[in-house]
Amino acid sequence: MEKIITLNDVTKEFKVLNRKEGLRGSIKDLFSRDYNIVRAVCNISMEVSRGEIVGYLGPNGAGKSTTIKMMTGVLEPTSGEILVNGMVPYIKRTQNAQNIGVVFGQRSQLWWALPVIESFNILKDIYQVSDRNYSDMMELYTSLVDIEDILHKPVRQLSLGQRTLSDILAAFLHNPSTVFLDEPTIGLDVSMKGKIRKLVKALNKEKNTTVILTTHDMGDVDALCRRIVIIDKGSLLYDNDIENLKGFFGSYRTVKVRLGREAEELTKENLKRLANELQQKLLDTHPEVNSLTAISNESWIDVLVHEDEIDIMKVVNSIQEHYKIYDLKLEEISTESVIRKIYEGEMQ
Amino acid sequence: MNLRKYITLTRAGMMESLHFRTSAFVTILGNMIYLVIIYYLWKAIYASTGTGIVNGMTFEATMIYLVLATALFYFMEMYLVWNMGRDIQSGGIVLKLIRPMSFKKYMFFSCSGSFVMSFFMTFVPTALIVYFVTNGAIYLGSNLLFFIISVIFGLLINFYVDFFVGTICLYTESVWGINIMKEVVVLLLSGASIPLAFFPESLRNVVMVLPFQAIYNTPLNLLIRHNLNNFDRITMIGIQLFWVVILSIITSLFWKKAVRQITVNGG
Ligand SMILES: Nc1ncnc2c1ncn2[C@@H]1O[C@H](COP(=O)(O)OP(=O)(O)O)[C@@H](O)[C@H]1O
Ligand SMILES: [Mg+2]
Repeated sequence: MEKIITLNDVTKEFKVLNRKEGLRGSIKDLFSRDYNIVRAVCNISMEVSRGEIVGYLGPNGAGKSTTIKMMTGVLEPTSGEILVNGMVPYIKRTQNAQNIGVVFGQRSQLWWALPVIESFNILKDIYQVSDRNYSDMMELYTSLVDIEDILHKPVRQLSLGQRTLSDILAAFLHNPSTVFLDEPTIGLDVSMKGKIRKLVKALNKEKNTTVILTTHDMGDVDALCRRIVIIDKGSLLYDNDIENLKGFFGSYRTVKVRLGREAEELTKENLKRLANELQQKLLDTHPEVNSLTAISNESWIDVLVHEDEIDIMKVVNSIQEHYKIYDLKLEEISTESVIRKIYEGEMQ
Repeated sequence: MNLRKYITLTRAGMMESLHFRTSAFVTILGNMIYLVIIYYLWKAIYASTGTGIVNGMTFEATMIYLVLATALFYFMEMYLVWNMGRDIQSGGIVLKLIRPMSFKKYMFFSCSGSFVMSFFMTFVPTALIVYFVTNGAIYLGSNLLFFIISVIFGLLINFYVDFFVGTICLYTESVWGINIMKEVVVLLLSGASIPLAFFPESLRNVVMVLPFQAIYNTPLNLLIRHNLNNFDRITMIGIQLFWVVILSIITSLFWKKAVRQITVNGG
């Protein structure tokens, strides 16, 4: 298959001044040569084919954004090679820019004071999109999301969700071969997340656009990505299909429970506390179990059980001894839990 | 070069500056206060010398020069150092580096919209007022054509100076001090706050070989001095052109070197 992106042994280091405290420290800093080297990305290699949606995951500070900035040509790798659409992004930055779209969740690339449609018009000219392609794209957009009432509002008056949606549309407008989405769903509500997932999926399918997506929301990953790449502390931990990953954890299952009728009304903190309490009680009653965890998840509590350690029915019985179970579901291990286990270093 | 790609940014800038009307009013108000202050300041200077002419300039000529210099200043000021510095500190610069055009062109054309707006909203009205109040001290002739060309070159030189200083922010990551220093140097050495005729001979000789005087001094003289022949005028514009070319090359080379060590904070 056609390779769109190739990373070969890529490393990025930042030189950071060791800052001292206080005013005297600040003055000393002016003359200081006391640098620390931060290795943000460390010997990463991967290839991405045309039309793939890759979930690029990792905890905060893992090096995801840095990798994206290198692929967009903004940062120069300290060592290693990157090719995007057959070009070295850093050297051919402006040419590469013509073939990529980028969304950074916390920043908007739209013109703040102008209506969204004006931003689109400006982008149309900047990327030299033909009238025909532009109107085709707008037609596609209108068929996928309800944008009529957003288009004529100034960007600064949009809600975060509407702004993000507009930013995503702006990134796809010139029909780039690759779109980078860096935490696009951060801070959005469930329904807006759903809209954005649907939109990205449809655009990927319709235009065969390659998408590199970073997110902390496993719902995004489940909805969009077949393949995931996980990095931590700059190094690659995992690069394969998501199903494959779940295979590693085949003997894990999740018991989802809702405790008491009022579960819906519990605050997040209280539910969290309840989950912790439940986990503690279960671990106390079954000292032979090590890897059992309970976490809150919307109005549910997810209890992750390793079936080699304990029978799932035993766990359910124990829960019932302590609490009144209002609702119960059994699920395969969730992506969320798999990723958590990988971050915690359970996959060697 | 596909012009439309760039002109669209000019258009965007014009629309944006229309949205910030209140800031335009504040600017005009500040402008007036400044003009009142310099009026009394120079009146005092002239009164203290006891003669009507100081350094070859009458009080009226000095005032005309300074009023137009102020109007030109508000028109040329684009807060570029400030904006670049802020973009570098916040990491927002990343959004400008993912555009399919050079960063310098992107910044120039993004600023150009507000040039067009403020040229018509502040400079032209001021010049008209001066024209009517002084009964034609600005004469209407070929000088207007030279002035227009000269303003465009002055604008470019001012842009390059700002861009150069903005690029320094990639190394220092601090903006405030550098910006103030630049403002003082440019305002003083360009003839924007004191006509160059008032400078001591030795300082004036230095100033004339620096690029700053080509920003304000040259266009203003082309507009208001009566005793220039075409040879003088073409020489003055030639010197500006020289600076435009030189500074364009220097800023490109400097930016190219500096951008390699960009780190882009945040994200
Ligand atoms: N401009 C910078 N200067 C110094 N260190 C940086 C810079 N940008 C990122 N880093 C460091 O590099 C690491 C990776 O950061 P980043 O790529 O932003 O992580 P992620 O996007 O995965 O959360 C972090 O340790 C961060 O502190
Ligand atoms: Mg990030």
